[in-house]
Amino acid sequence: MNNIYIARTSESPEIDFNFSGHILNITGEAYPENASDFFRPVLIALETYLKSIANCDVIFNFQLTYFNSASTKMLYNVFELLNESASTDANRIVLNWYHDEEDDTILEFGLDVQEDFQWLDFRPIILDIAKEA
Amino acid sequence: MHIDVFSAFRENADRNGILFYYSGSLSQNVIGAMGDALKQRLESQDAKGSTSRKLFSSFIEMVQNAIHYSPDDPDSNGDKVGSIAVGKRDEKYFIMCGNLVQKQHVGRIREKLEPLKRMSLDEIKQAYRAQLKNDQNDDAVSKGAGLGFLTLARDSTEPIEYALIDAPGHENKLSCFYLKAII
Repeated sequence: MNNIYIARTSESPEIDFNFSGHILNITGEAYPENASDFFRPVLIALETYLKSIANCDVIFNFQLTYFNSASTKMLYNVFELLNESASTDANRIVLNWYHDEEDDTILEFGLDVQEDFQWLDFRPIILDIAKEA
Repeated sequence: MHIDVFSAFRENADRNGILFYYSGSLSQNVIGAMGDALKQRLESQDAKGSTSRKLFSSFIEMVQNAIHYSPDDPDSNGDKVGSIAVGKRDEKYFIMCGNLVQKQHVGRIREKLEPLKRMSLDEIKQAYRAQLKNDQNDDAVSKGAGLGFLTLARDSTEPIEYALIDAPGHENKLSCFYLKAII
């Protein structure tokens, strides 16, 4: 299974899916011109990976600071795939949800994700932007 | 344009609290440049983090909506064109976008926006979640996730306003579509 790495641009996030290490990172901002064109290959690779594992510990680090509405829908599909894999193949998936303390929008989306996808081990983490910079 | 006309234009913009105005061709590159300029303007205006994030989000939704749905401008060599203004009045920011739409879509746009005007924030959030879970794309024209207007309505502190006006010179085919949100 090939890992995938997509470098960050001004409008699209860094995707660093280290499938062999079972650590998946998404970092940056997401407002590509066509969200489904950007995310479709990522979703396909993720689905293939998830089908290949069982009874495995996976860490997903969600570190987006902004995503537009079309990307939100694609991200929701990502969490749907992860949740399905956790429920059917006994994978233990930790979803580390990094968010700025002041950013209600991202925390609220995270809480919706937590409610909708209960097989995921959702862990909100306050990100101190000032310290990061 | 004479200098005195430009002067009046500038003074009028100042009086109306305009911080940022762009009119012209819209592309993802322009979004990047305008987005950066907007972020810098907001920093210098000391906008709180959450206000500036919501303004940026509304800016992206409005401009991408214009890029996705506006037909090529018949008067400007087939570019996608639009106008965007960001300003501040009474301690609140407003953002407005204007672009062309095909007249045949006017009814559809009204149907999407009219109910939002009467919904509470809780109802908007519920509709947003329902749309997020909805796997059926029941709108053949929509290229996004059907979440754009709901995102704007969620971030706006007042009901979003809109107007659809016949496009001068193209009354039979095109309308000017204006959207306004207040953050």
